[in-house]
Amino acid sequence: MYKLPKSEIEEIQRKRLRQIVKYLYENSSFYRNKLRGIDIDEIRSKEDLRKIPFTTKDDIRDNYPFGLICVDFSKIVRFHASSGTTGNPTVVAYTIQDIENWSELCKRCLEIVDVNSNDVVQIAYGYGLFTGGLGFHYGAERLGAKVIPASTGNTKRQIKLMKDLGTTVICCTPSYGLYLAEVAKEEGINPKRDLKLKAGIFGAEPWSENTRRKLEENFVENAYDIYGMSELNGPGVAMECKFKNGLHIWEDHYIVEIIDPNTGEVLEPEEKGEMVVTTLTKEAMPLLRYRTRDITILNDDPCDCGLNHARIMRILGRTDDMLKIRGVCVFPSQIEEIIMKTNGLSPHYQLVADREGVMDKLIVRVEVAEDFKTDRLTDLVNIQNKLEEELKDALGINAVIELVEPKKIPRSEGKAQRIVDLRKIRGLL
Amino acid sequence: MKQISVFLENRPGRLANLLKILKENNIKVFAMGIAEAGNYGIVRLILDNPDRAIEVLRNMNMAVNKSEVIIVSIELLPEVSKVLGEAGINIDYAYTMDGRKVVLKVSDEIKASEVLRNLGMEFIV
Repeated sequence: MYKLPKSEIEEIQRKRLRQIVKYLYENSSFYRNKLRGIDIDEIRSKEDLRKIPFTTKDDIRDNYPFGLICVDFSKIVRFHASSGTTGNPTVVAYTIQDIENWSELCKRCLEIVDVNSNDVVQIAYGYGLFTGGLGFHYGAERLGAKVIPASTGNTKRQIKLMKDLGTTVICCTPSYGLYLAEVAKEEGINPKRDLKLKAGIFGAEPWSENTRRKLEENFVENAYDIYGMSELNGPGVAMECKFKNGLHIWEDHYIVEIIDPNTGEVLEPEEKGEMVVTTLTKEAMPLLRYRTRDITILNDDPCDCGLNHARIMRILGRTDDMLKIRGVCVFPSQIEEIIMKTNGLSPHYQLVADREGVMDKLIVRVEVAEDFKTDRLTDLVNIQNKLEEELKDALGINAVIELVEPKKIPRSEGKAQRIVDLRKIRGLL
Repeated sequence: MKQISVFLENRPGRLANLLKILKENNIKVFAMGIAEAGNYGIVRLILDNPDRAIEVLRNMNMAVNKSEVIIVSIELLPEVSKVLGEAGINIDYAYTMDGRKVVLKVSDEIKASEVLRNLGMEFIV
């Protein structure tokens, strides 16, 4: 049972935290090393956690592939891996008990939005190394629902399955949800009328209220956000309830802290920062104070749904991508969204932070589209002004727009290098 | 007449680069005008082989566009601009060619051709 009073959740947390720290000290050479000089008997509460150094994605990569595993190899029953854009992938190992717990959490996520054994759940997340497909699969099965393991792709078949098998719940990324709705329409199917989708559970990408509106207008009755990552099992770490006002994080399995990504200092509730998670029940690869690099806000207020598990707000972006301009946090994703809506521009852009006197300055360099259709300067000036205005509306800061020639923004094989911070360079001079 | 317009960043060497590409491909420039706005601008060109120029420049990843212009002699310009104005046709921009001709971008080149043809005025379209 997870519908517990706050005090009981906190009691479970304290008990499990003591156990996991002791367990890691005894079974993991990596953590024995991290915990050196710390009296582990003194780690009794969430506050005590602050004495322990963070664990980062690099720690996992540097100890690739088995360095963080703290059970006998015979106890491992599965591996998942997230794609490494550079260097080693992030490999995560699971014991039977880990799969059991993970399935339970995915089941809870479905349950709190009223999915039950009568539902037909179509899982259009990838099945494979990616945790999305199998995570939902085990959760939905555990609930007794009818699972369609559709995996990704083959969009027309997805729609046929939804129609013919009477899918009531779809699980996929929000962008794929929008695409499914589009293709359904092309096929002459109006999802809201012809399909029975009472809920869509959308995760693996940050998305916005705007997208929720679109999904609920064109695709599903209710669109819910779910959060997870393979390092923390997979999907099912946190999930929106029917009130759609933040994602409940399962605090009997995870402890969440929000930190200032620059200083590492723990922030107060309601403050925006990087989410740091300690896993309380993982066996094969538990993590202490794992830096997720996801930016959110923690909200511990009681929720109307009656659950006492704290909520995180929608993921706002990643720390790798955050830029602070005159105290305002700016994420490339916000800017990208606006650029994408503007005709005549390519989706290739770069954000340059600079300093003019004592003031920060943000320059948005964006390529004009190769097929841009104008010989008139005014059309370009209009694009520029429109972009300036929309960025001001969305971010609350004045950005300087620089239109550049096609293919002038450096391309990269993996993650795009979106940010150039000249303030740091100038600071050194 | 076909005009090519090219988006260029407004910084040293960009125009030279454009003209070098044209020259290397044996494309002759008959007329050229530049309009600039801050860090970028548009270069408009009348060339001997506009279609080939588009192909070549697109291959170099440049943003190129084609549009229709009309060309009149500079002596006729007072008269031409008067009749176009009377017909409600706007001259969006203009630049000279050979010192004796003017390239005109008008709001409606089909209607402009008609008006000029009806009045028996010489022009290149």
